[in-house]
Amino acid sequence: MKTMSRLLAVSVLAMATAAPIANAQDLIVGFTQDAATLDPGNHRNRETETIIRNMFDGILTRDSAMSIQPELAASYTQVSPTVYDFKIREGVKFHDGSNMTAEDVKFTLDRLTREGAMGNDQTSPRKSLLGPIESVEVTDATTVRVTLSEPWPLLPAMLPFQEIVSKNFVETVGTEGMATQANGTGPFKLVDWRKGDSIIMERFDDYYGGADGIQPAGKACVDRAIFKIIPESASRVAALLAGDVHIINELPPFAVEQVKNSQTADVMTVNGTRSFFIAMNLEGETFDDIQVRQAVAHALDKDLIIDRILGGNAASISGILSPDAFGKNTDLPEYSYDPEKARALLAEAGFPDGIEVTMDTTGAFKDTAEAVASLLTRAGINTKVAVGEAAILNEKWRTQGGPKEGDMYFTSWGNGSLDPQGIFVPTHVTNARGNSAGYSSDKVDALLDAAATEVDREKRAAMYQEAEAIANADLPYVYLWVPQDIYGVSKRLSGWQPSPDSRINLHDACLN
Amino acid sequence: MSLARFIERLLQLIPVLLGVSAIVFVMITLTPGDPVEIMIGDQIVTPEQEEALRRDLGLDRPMLERFGLFLGNAVQGDFGESFYHRRPVAEVIAERLPATIELSLVALLVALFTAIPLGVLAAIKKNSIFDRMATVGSLLGVSLPGFWFGILLLMLFAVHLQILPVSGRIGFSSEIEPITHFLLIDTLLRGRPDAFLDALSHIILPAITLGLPMTAILMRVTRTSMLEVLRQDYITFAEAKGLSRHRILWRHALKNALIPTVSVAAIETGSLLGGNMIVETVFGWPGLGRLVVESIFVRNYPLVQAAVLFYAVTYVLLNFIADILYTVLNPRVKL
Repeated sequence: MKTMSRLLAVSVLAMATAAPIANAQDLIVGFTQDAATLDPGNHRNRETETIIRNMFDGILTRDSAMSIQPELAASYTQVSPTVYDFKIREGVKFHDGSNMTAEDVKFTLDRLTREGAMGNDQTSPRKSLLGPIESVEVTDATTVRVTLSEPWPLLPAMLPFQEIVSKNFVETVGTEGMATQANGTGPFKLVDWRKGDSIIMERFDDYYGGADGIQPAGKACVDRAIFKIIPESASRVAALLAGDVHIINELPPFAVEQVKNSQTADVMTVNGTRSFFIAMNLEGETFDDIQVRQAVAHALDKDLIIDRILGGNAASISGILSPDAFGKNTDLPEYSYDPEKARALLAEAGFPDGIEVTMDTTGAFKDTAEAVASLLTRAGINTKVAVGEAAILNEKWRTQGGPKEGDMYFTSWGNGSLDPQGIFVPTHVTNARGNSAGYSSDKVDALLDAAATEVDREKRAAMYQEAEAIANADLPYVYLWVPQDIYGVSKRLSGWQPSPDSRINLHDACLN
Repeated sequence: MSLARFIERLLQLIPVLLGVSAIVFVMITLTPGDPVEIMIGDQIVTPEQEEALRRDLGLDRPMLERFGLFLGNAVQGDFGESFYHRRPVAEVIAERLPATIELSLVALLVALFTAIPLGVLAAIKKNSIFDRMATVGSLLGVSLPGFWFGILLLMLFAVHLQILPVSGRIGFSSEIEPITHFLLIDTLLRGRPDAFLDALSHIILPAITLGLPMTAILMRVTRTSMLEVLRQDYITFAEAKGLSRHRILWRHALKNALIPTVSVAAIETGSLLGGNMIVETVFGWPGLGRLVVESIFVRNYPLVQAAVLFYAVTYVLLNFIADILYTVLNPRVKL
């Protein structure tokens, strides 16, 4: 017993001194989710991409203003509507010391787009992210030519999401080996992956410096960069306040003040790319009437909700596109907050006593949906919120033309590429995957179809603007807002900017 | 227990496992939600590309065929490939298991070392202030939500006092080449007492949070059964013989009083080993519970199936072990 208590005393004493140990140059990110795999070609997961993009560079990248910059490409040109030439940078090394060549770029794109190219008759789950790529050829030692089967203006916007792998390395370790080993050209190389716990990376000293268009170019600033997985937001905030981590993602709006008031940390925000909206079931007997849909739009005080519930961290929208998206129509009419008008519209539509409806949403947005529901109820649209799991609600609402039950769905759609194609088409084209409202407009379909292959940027932008104006008038959805991504950062951190596409690029981040 | 009896008990596992596999398979397959849709997320995709994904995951085959394949492979120890991780399920589960086992065992130790002495003391000093405090304490212990209690501990020890870390299993300056994958053991085997203390400082808060409800339950069970034993004739007889109080309590009474405690502890350990989603989430503990819940959300069928099978085996085996312990503690009980 004596030894026991002595041991206990020693342990407690030691713990008091041993607690948070971190090297001065360990930059630690408290992050929501672990990577699914380290293979850039074998996942469909945003968080995985955020982590491994620090070890792998792409042909193209984006700067913090979201404009596209050549990264492993020195430059690129569009030769014809369906042909792009990428001039590949020379002198770039993989982490294993081998040189990156045009062959590696071709190999990577082939691996992503060819049927069965992952081995075992498997095709990369990322294939659909690269649209109609038909062939990839190495035309000379430093040039890769990508040929599309039809014009696809989205290509440059989608390439920053694809990372270049080493042909030789993949052929040596196979797709199985790629899942847990990383050999990229990025600013950090893998040290250890403690699965479910953390991914530890160290500075790659032979780094070529990164995109010329993003300064400062050069090696990474910190010795080691670590993604530490802390799924619970309150614990992430605690880790930031305790100084255990230096950046946290998805800082919950309710913790913003607490972090701002702390001595050690601060808040950074950036416009997000996810549009929130309420889908109204156009097949139902209530919302087939445009006056009822207009009543919903007028019953909502978006500014109030943005201010009170979202802490002011969101931008109001009147169409599906985020204010930063290409082709955004900035002159859309606004459905002003006017509960009296909403009641009048309901009465005109034959509902003088109001309507009873249910609004589906997922647990994460229950609070916001409740606030929306109470505003609607005040204007005669008696709304009950029903919380369900995303997988189940999506199956209920995204029926791709099949019959659907339900009144309203409070939901969202992400658009990391900020190109309208990625969000407008799936939510507004007749019978498309994410068309929860069941909207169908020949004009919008035709415009979006034509815009998909239109090479002239101005013409293309005009088409999206017109489509957005039509949808704004038809009102299949009440367009709500695009929330900002909120990060908590240590005051010791410098040189880091949050990015609208939710990447956490640690290349230029320093700790003081 | 005879060898034949032992083998018979092991053979009883087979129908249990078959039944569990069938139920899990049917339940998860019939649950609404499509793994392919979830994987594609907010992206445009052609129907052909979607079909190709479905085919690559083997989801285009009829349900019965998939179940047959799953069983056939599972018998050979192959549980398929995780849709999400794109690696063998057995490998993914094996990586997370040590963290869960380590945390469960430490939580179990915390519970046993606090519950048994407290339960015995409460029984001896029945109706005293101490007994009442222990009873109220155990009620609190069972009722406090782990989520809330964990965050409370974090705010106090990690944020305000800054003497314990917020999350994870070990700090980043302690890199330990794994031997057993149990960090508390590996750090000692590698001769790294600093890393051992680091690991200990990481496990202490999650272990207390996880062990608290179990402590409360075990304490009440121990108290009740101790009270019962103390009323038995043989205790009165021992007292009449003039044995010391200490000897009566710890040698004669406790041994019998512990029988219910052992069986409850075994069953509770079964649920601990399943991993605790809440504690693992709050403390960023890289265990199995979190993995399984995340897998359910993305409808990662192979992983969920294998994990539930694993749970079933663990439960059956732990009950088996509890039965054996019974016979040791009470030779009159035969298996």
